[in-house]
Amino acid sequence: MRVILRTKPRKKPFIPIEAEAIIPQNFLRKNDITVYEGNKERKLDEIFYITTEGPAVSPDQVEIVLSGETGRIKRVGEYMNAGRIVIEGDIGMHCGNFMSAGEIIIKGNADAWLGREMRGGIIRCEGNASHYCAAGYRGEKRGMRGGIVQVMGNAGDFTAEYLSGGEVTIHGDCGDLPGVEMRGGTLIIGGNCRRPCGNMTGGICMIFGKADAMLPTFRNTGSEEKEYGGHHHRMTMYRGDIANRGKGTLLVKIN
Amino acid sequence: MSELLVRNAYVIDPLSGIKGDVMDIAIRDGKIVEEVGRNAEVIDADHCLTLPGGVDSHSHVCGTKVNFGRYMSPEDMRAGRTARKGVMHVTSGYSVPTTFGNSYRYSIMGYTTILEGAMAPLEARHTHEEFTATPHQDMLANTLFDGNWSIMEAVREKDVKRAAAVVAWTLSAVKGFAIKLTNPGGTEAWGWGEDVHSILDQVPHFGVTPAEIIETMIRANELLNLPHSVHIHCNALGVPGNYRTTLDTLDLVPDLNDKRQTLYLTHLQFHSYGGSTWKDISSKSEDIARAVNNKPQVAIDMGQIMFGRTTTMTADGPMEFKLYMLHHNKWSNHDVELETGSGIIPVYYSRKSLVNCVMWAIGLELALLTKDPWQCMLSTDNPNGAPFVKYPEIIALLMSRRFRENELALLDPRTAHYVPLPAIDRELDWYDIAVMTRAGQAKALGITGVGKGHLAPGAEADIAIYPLKPDSLDPSTEYQQVMAGFGKTRYTIKRGRVVARDGEVVVEGANSTIWTKAITPPEFDLSVDPEFVKKFEQYYTVRMSNYPVQDVYLPRGVCIATEASL
Repeated sequence: MRVILRTKPRKKPFIPIEAEAIIPQNFLRKNDITVYEGNKERKLDEIFYITTEGPAVSPDQVEIVLSGETGRIKRVGEYMNAGRIVIEGDIGMHCGNFMSAGEIIIKGNADAWLGREMRGGIIRCEGNASHYCAAGYRGEKRGMRGGIVQVMGNAGDFTAEYLSGGEVTIHGDCGDLPGVEMRGGTLIIGGNCRRPCGNMTGGICMIFGKADAMLPTFRNTGSEEKEYGGHHHRMTMYRGDIANRGKGTLLVKIN
Repeated sequence: MSELLVRNAYVIDPLSGIKGDVMDIAIRDGKIVEEVGRNAEVIDADHCLTLPGGVDSHSHVCGTKVNFGRYMSPEDMRAGRTARKGVMHVTSGYSVPTTFGNSYRYSIMGYTTILEGAMAPLEARHTHEEFTATPHQDMLANTLFDGNWSIMEAVREKDVKRAAAVVAWTLSAVKGFAIKLTNPGGTEAWGWGEDVHSILDQVPHFGVTPAEIIETMIRANELLNLPHSVHIHCNALGVPGNYRTTLDTLDLVPDLNDKRQTLYLTHLQFHSYGGSTWKDISSKSEDIARAVNNKPQVAIDMGQIMFGRTTTMTADGPMEFKLYMLHHNKWSNHDVELETGSGIIPVYYSRKSLVNCVMWAIGLELALLTKDPWQCMLSTDNPNGAPFVKYPEIIALLMSRRFRENELALLDPRTAHYVPLPAIDRELDWYDIAVMTRAGQAKALGITGVGKGHLAPGAEADIAIYPLKPDSLDPSTEYQQVMAGFGKTRYTIKRGRVVARDGEVVVEGANSTIWTKAITPPEFDLSVDPEFVKKFEQYYTVRMSNYPVQDVYLPRGVCIATEASL
């Protein structure tokens, strides 16, 4: 089943829409799905032109396509456990919160908290992701625990904060403090970043660009070769964060 | 002029000596009166249990550490969400709900007055701001003096009058209600990475002992004629074998006040442990209850724990660190310059943990073994032992031996070897519960004079009508109905207005904040005392003139002024 949701023009397009109900399993049951526009509850057809094509007997056969002005739609794919969501443009904050399976494709940019605390599944963002991509929420002890996040462009600050499992790949640059408080999992940064992996206690972070303002609390333990983008790169290997008795691995390309 | 008449109410009003009479209650302009006119609005209570509005004499609901508990636990905020409904705001949170969540849930349970258990003076503004957002309860703030440098210097100099002057200035400046000592001296020692383990250990640098602090503050409190006594969280909380420290503390208390207790010991469950390690922890509730029974000059509250998830928060920083070392989960530690500190960690009390089972039993034992219900209040030290929404379950446990036996059967089977609970037959009655949940608490706090905790003419018209008919209900067997009934009032009336009905809050509230001001002679005015002023110039990060909480933070402040006997 393919559900196409195209946004209707809104009088106040800057009011965010809370759309945690937009997940494949909800469309299978054909319940009356509602979303919040600001503090007003709206039926889905008040916000979107809805087109449904074909049948489905399980959530993994459901594909949702979001198009139009989707940059202010928040929490799409929250707790998603099967199926596929394709976003033709940009998407708002908290896309893919807690998702455990399925796939989200974002053709534009993603706002902050993309894939927050996700447990499984795949998120692929073809544009840029904002701050806290694949991170844990404030006060949460563990962030993303499983699954794959791929960002083809750049990501903001605090990428993969509290990462505990799964794989995060940022092909462009990252902002400040990526991989802070990492406990496990893999973080791959294709471009540059600043102050990576403070307080990390486990997991692997690989940086194939430049790491500015490296923290002094990482111990150089030699070098290793890693493959990225079809090329082999010589990397300096660090262990840390020793200020936190951490046993994480940080690999930074030798330029 | 607004008038309301509650008809056919089965009233228990311990402070007025009413132990279960069917009567009418007349209300005019928010006060109880003898009678009202014919045009008064009428509520038919239909012989349901009608009590004065609930008073919680120790709960953590507002202030910086509560707020930190909120934002360090997003998982807690995701629990207990309720949508906007009528006048009710959106709420979220289970053990540390939003302020409106606290206020609505308390109101639905019939509570109309709450004492915030610990307010750091320096951070009082935050507490008062949250008070105004807790609209259905009148609020009071215990003010922390456990690590106050000026107090400890006065204790070292053995100058009770100066200690009293510091208390008077501070309570008046921060609009606090009473003196709270949390692990006296221990939080200051924690600033040096240490703790005090008994009431005779010395506090680093100051060279005073917790015993000296407690004794001085008790006397200073009486010199100021404050409505409440000193409110203490004893040293060595949560440490196996700490009952000795608690007994030592009880031995310090003189009988100085004929209207109320001289010392209020809070959450005593956490202070009644025998044994020497977590492996041989046992209940010493019998020893503690015997000491309390022998000392009418003390009052206690239970600090009952209930199984499930909650958040612990206290000004006792070193204790929270010990808990963190047990759990290795999240931990927050906070220092308040020259005054106190705090710590917060989330916990889970489990029926599979022998230690937790023993703790659960001790709280109930304290309530059941204390002979006089006026000496033992019902509390969970919300949210440290459990969120306050568990009160109805605790009431049912106290009223029904069968319920206790059913619960005991679910616990770690070794529990019975370490606690006397299975041998206790006592079942509390409706009167005892009315004392422990409102009348006793109002008396202990000294707020009966401002119309709290009773229904005599002139009192504030704070009334809770529960869907329980004491004439036909046997609490020892029908404990499920007791639990449901105390969980949701038919009507909660606050200052003469119905604020909650059948589990739903029906009006926007407007609460008061009750604070105390002890009027001291000019020679004890510390605002011009060079030594005291120097503290602000040299050590505090705020100026003395910016320290006091302005009146604008208390839109409906009620000041209890006392004349100090200095």
